[in-house]
Amino acid sequence: MRALLSILVALFSAAPAAAGDLLVQVRTASGAAVPNAVVTLYPGGRPSPLAQERGTYQIAQRDLQFSPFVLVVPVGADVSFPNFDNVRHHVYSFSPVRRFELRLYAREQARNVHFDRPGIVPLGCNIHDSMIAFIDVVDTGFAARTDGAGQARFTAIPGSQVLVRIWHPYLRAPGNQLEMQVAVPDHGTVSQAVPVNLRPPPRLGSAY
Amino acid sequence: MAAAFGAALVAFAWSAPAFAAPPHLDLPANLSAVIDFRIVLTDGERSFTDGGFGKSRFANGGSGLDAHAVPAAAELVWHGPIAWNVSGTVAVAYQDEQDQPVDLIQAFVSWRPVPRGETRFSMRAGLYWPEVSLEHEGAAWQVSDMITPSAINSWIGEEVKVVGLEAMASRPLLGGRVSATLGLFGFNDTAGTLLAFRGWALHDQQTGAFSRQPIPPLGPDMAGAQPQWTTPTLEADHRIGFYGRLEYQMVAPVTLSAFYYDNRGDPAAFTNHLQWGWRTRFLNLGARVDLGAHTRLLAQALTGSTLMGPEDDEDDYWVETHFRSAFLRLTHEVGPLALSGRLDLFDTRQRGEYVHPEDAETGWSLTGAADWHITSQAQLILEWLHIESDRLARLRIGEAARQDQNVVQASMRLSL
Repeated sequence: MRALLSILVALFSAAPAAAGDLLVQVRTASGAAVPNAVVTLYPGGRPSPLAQERGTYQIAQRDLQFSPFVLVVPVGADVSFPNFDNVRHHVYSFSPVRRFELRLYAREQARNVHFDRPGIVPLGCNIHDSMIAFIDVVDTGFAARTDGAGQARFTAIPGSQVLVRIWHPYLRAPGNQLEMQVAVPDHGTVSQAVPVNLRPPPRLGSAY
Repeated sequence: MAAAFGAALVAFAWSAPAFAAPPHLDLPANLSAVIDFRIVLTDGERSFTDGGFGKSRFANGGSGLDAHAVPAAAELVWHGPIAWNVSGTVAVAYQDEQDQPVDLIQAFVSWRPVPRGETRFSMRAGLYWPEVSLEHEGAAWQVSDMITPSAINSWIGEEVKVVGLEAMASRPLLGGRVSATLGLFGFNDTAGTLLAFRGWALHDQQTGAFSRQPIPPLGPDMAGAQPQWTTPTLEADHRIGFYGRLEYQMVAPVTLSAFYYDNRGDPAAFTNHLQWGWRTRFLNLGARVDLGAHTRLLAQALTGSTLMGPEDDEDDYWVETHFRSAFLRLTHEVGPLALSGRLDLFDTRQRGEYVHPEDAETGWSLTGAADWHITSQAQLILEWLHIESDRLARLRIGEAARQDQNVVQASMRLSL
């Protein structure tokens, strides 16, 4: 009975009646590709189910930088913070989404943080002010970060009207976020250009 | 002489590739060092470092050009964690021309708790320069992109180092970030002595905690009251001074800052060595504008006064010096080169009973520098500094009141 139920669930979620593809292209007004923007889709204005299979996620500390700069994880994810540097890092976030503090010794490789609420979690290192990264904890299965060409691709999107959200840490918009409605065809790919305006990143540095 | 300098410069540039691949020296973790090799070509009056009124570190007052190599200077810095929210910084320098060639430059601990919200707090305590200079950076307090700091920051380097405790808070405001600092300090009672008796100068020497700084020949009224030197890090009156600083980094790449300092010195207090409790107050305004990714404008303006000696019935002090200076500096990066130009204006006025208008001065200076970052460890800076100033007190040593001077320097800096 249980096996039958899961087959039914799989059938319903994996084979919607009509599903098109969407290519989101984020660029600045001058045409430069914008990587590290998080694009989330809400078909029919609702989040789509998250994948049952939990991926592995990490933000590494290497050469006094967080890597990646922006990480997209589903609600419920565990993120590891391996330190590959020869110095200590003191990773923290005071985000209401997830407040935490990790004291990582040099070359310390095994520490996880669980994220169970959606939202943006800015990260900092209390020892190295120039280290900055962001985790976007998402509640929809359709979520991706734009690549070096400023592109994010989605396939098999159910429904025709899709709410598209674009977030970037330096986006000039309330909450650093834009929203738009995009009509996705039943079959084939639609391309959506998103022109954005970015703020210059903050100049960082500490006197001591 | 110019030919000798030229030859030395060619040799310097020739050796650049050797510096570019320095012998691999692994310093222990948290230790860093800067070694500075320098050649200098200069004309003009005798330097203040040599008993004259000259405004640069160099020049022997002889006629014509003087070319020489400066003994290598070095700075060793330890900057590292003490506990998770506490770090320490200790800088020791070797500077051959200083009264104490090896001396302590800075030593402080800072406490930075992990932010619990948008507001971030920090504190530091120890021997340090309060944050006035926009030109200096890092634990070694090196001038960025040039050799010689402005008149303002040369003076900060000489006389405005404190033994203090400061607290800072910063938070986002209107899309930018505002920060406020309040500091309490001692051991900076003689600040102002050099501005009163010598006037402004432009040089990159860093005053050590135990070093004395030379003063040019004093007028007859002051000669018995003050030796020919001053100790910048000194407590004479047991009064606590304070400073406050406000900074606003706007959304646009503009950072504005204001700094006010009052050492609350007792002008009538003095030590056995006739070091006085100068009452020094000043206001510094600063602006940094990033004109694109590779061009920045730095500007500072400082105005203040200092009082020394007992107050008489007519509210006059022995020394009452008013000082002000401003500079504008533009730096533009082209590949591994940073090109900088700076204009400095400075003056002092004397209203005291025993230090007269002959010790007042006016002057300006123009500096141009090219900083070549050969590798992350080696840089070669070439700088031309031109200073013009007018000070009647020069007549005391038989020099003309009006002087101009050129100093061309090449500095090879190795960072380990």
